[in-house]
Amino acid sequence: MNVKSWVKITPHDAIVAGKSVLASNDVAGQKLLVEVYRKYVNNYPKFFKMDTLCKLGFIASELLLNDIEGTERNSFDDRAVIMFNHSSSYNADCHFQQTIQDVDDFYPSPSVFVYTLPNIVTGEIAIRNKYFGETSFYVIDEPDARIMAQVICNTLVGSGMKSALCGWVECTCDDEFTAVVFLLDGDIDRASFEEEIKSLFTEQ
Amino acid sequence: MEELILNLKKEIIDVLNLEDVKPEDIDNDAPLFGEGLGLDSIDALELIVLMEKNYGIKLQDAAKGKEIFKSLNTMADYIAKNRKK
Amino acid sequence: MESSIAAIVAHNVVSPLGLTSADNYEAVKDGRTAVRVHGSFGALQGPLPLAVVDGSMLDDACAFIGLSRNDYTRFEKMLILSISQAVADSEIDLSSPRVIFIISTTKGNVELLDRNASNSIPRERVFLATAAKQVARYFNNPNNPLVVSNACTSGLCAQIAAMRCLQCGDYDYAVVAGCDVLSPFIISGFQSFKAVSSQLCRPFDMSRDGLNLGEAAATVVYSRHRSSRGGWVACRGAIRNDANHISGPSRTGEGCYRALSAVVDGVDSSGLAFVNVHGTATVYNDEMESIALQRAGLLQVPVTGLKGYFGHTLGAAGVLETIMSMLAVDDHIVPGTLGFASLGVSAYVQVSCENRITDKQAFVKMLSGFGGCNAAMLFKKGGDVA
Repeated sequence: MNVKSWVKITPHDAIVAGKSVLASNDVAGQKLLVEVYRKYVNNYPKFFKMDTLCKLGFIASELLLNDIEGTERNSFDDRAVIMFNHSSSYNADCHFQQTIQDVDDFYPSPSVFVYTLPNIVTGEIAIRNKYFGETSFYVIDEPDARIMAQVICNTLVGSGMKSALCGWVECTCDDEFTAVVFLLDGDIDRASFEEEIKSLFTEQ
Repeated sequence: MEELILNLKKEIIDVLNLEDVKPEDIDNDAPLFGEGLGLDSIDALELIVLMEKNYGIKLQDAAKGKEIFKSLNTMADYIAKNRKK
Repeated sequence: MESSIAAIVAHNVVSPLGLTSADNYEAVKDGRTAVRVHGSFGALQGPLPLAVVDGSMLDDACAFIGLSRNDYTRFEKMLILSISQAVADSEIDLSSPRVIFIISTTKGNVELLDRNASNSIPRERVFLATAAKQVARYFNNPNNPLVVSNACTSGLCAQIAAMRCLQCGDYDYAVVAGCDVLSPFIISGFQSFKAVSSQLCRPFDMSRDGLNLGEAAATVVYSRHRSSRGGWVACRGAIRNDANHISGPSRTGEGCYRALSAVVDGVDSSGLAFVNVHGTATVYNDEMESIALQRAGLLQVPVTGLKGYFGHTLGAAGVLETIMSMLAVDDHIVPGTLGFASLGVSAYVQVSCENRITDKQAFVKMLSGFGGCNAAMLFKKGGDVA
């Protein structure tokens, strides 16, 4: 296994290495993210200022790192944060557009605008964990394991980074999202890594 | 003034997403920025939008915000003197 | 083992200053700016200094290459035009599966979100991957493009992604094209950040008070194989995070310093013609960059910034400013920093409003952006890859 552990979040479940971390199934969408935050993080009020894409990536990274490193975690100079999705910051874009759509109600919001860049989620994770390494965001057509494996492996070869927190974080509206996030450490075998990514997307 | 202060507190909590803060938690004289509420530069910009949207006050020079947003009292004072709605 | 390198074999810039790299460079050398003060932009009221590509100039140029006016957005037209012109005189076959398109942009076709937008473009093109595919398919390229969206550092990050693709042998050519077009969305967002100046921007100057927004498209084509000795090569690239704040630059220039250090480590800085900075002319960005340059031991190297000529062209900036830097070094010139008069940052950087002479053959390009990201690259002309 190249992947040390993995997390999958959908509007209906939050799964760490194959096991659900939710006590019940009665919350969904944004409320699910808040519930997981309350139960497993609860010490980072900035969470409530984030847009849904960042909340999603943040929660996924917290569950992942709790699973591997616990709550007392190290900062890293050489850990990359590499994320992919299809819709970029579409959800935040729609929210910002609402603040400027009407000439008579025209109040562009800086706290919404800042999230109209998809790489903010990689920044939020770097800030939370004091990761001074590379942060990169790529927009691709679909969660294509070949492209993701290629970009991630090339980064680990060419950037001086020793480990990488990476994955797919997609959010099309506040209650529709998917995250598949994982941690890599050390040398990666690209062919088997590509198969692992594929299986993470199909696994329940 | 009392009413303005209470409304302002509610508005700040709402626009800045201060999830676990209640109006009574905000001390009228305590610094809004720095320790305490944990506000940052984006919050300051958002307070400028709040003043324009809810009170019709256009603040052209963002640097002026520093004085106005010193505490809840200074902010309420400024709004009371300059409000257009 | 065959040596894999990332050689620049073709390039183009489309901006208000011209439709070729050479025309744009001539304008820079002559001290001309693309920024004009507009009375309004859509429903936005001025004075708004902006660098806007003239619509009829764009349509005429597109008609010349046979691009239909109604099937593509302004963003896509500028990209297609720039890529077409970059490869026009080359033998590169863009329809080959050994060619990857890497698009650098922040907001792409975001103006399609506007309910009042009146055009026949399918709304799904608001998605960057879809718009990028539209561009790649125009050139019959079979691969799905990679879109790099790392805020204002995207243009360097896309070139770094290209270097890696070629060095790992995944492709023979990488077409890196950066573009953003101005829209009320982008302008009002930067205004809400109080980051926009009402005058022509003044990078590194005492009286600087914000940036000017601009639009442009710029393309560099990278090859695994050097086309001729003496050509330009991307030697190193680094991306580092401040781990500090999602919008405010680090006061210590942490990520910027780290990215710079990674690309100049072991390099004799007396061989550098200049550092081409981000230089947006916001108070905090330029101050942060000066501190990062000082910490990286680069204060004796000339510094030059190009935002006074083009404005801040967002996703295009890293590509455009790299091309202008190459042409300046080819011409033995350190371009003057338009808008600069007297030093207004705390570290004593070697910046000047005048063109200076250089005989050096290498330069560093750096950028910083929202999300705490910073990027730097080292480029060299001729010689071996570092």
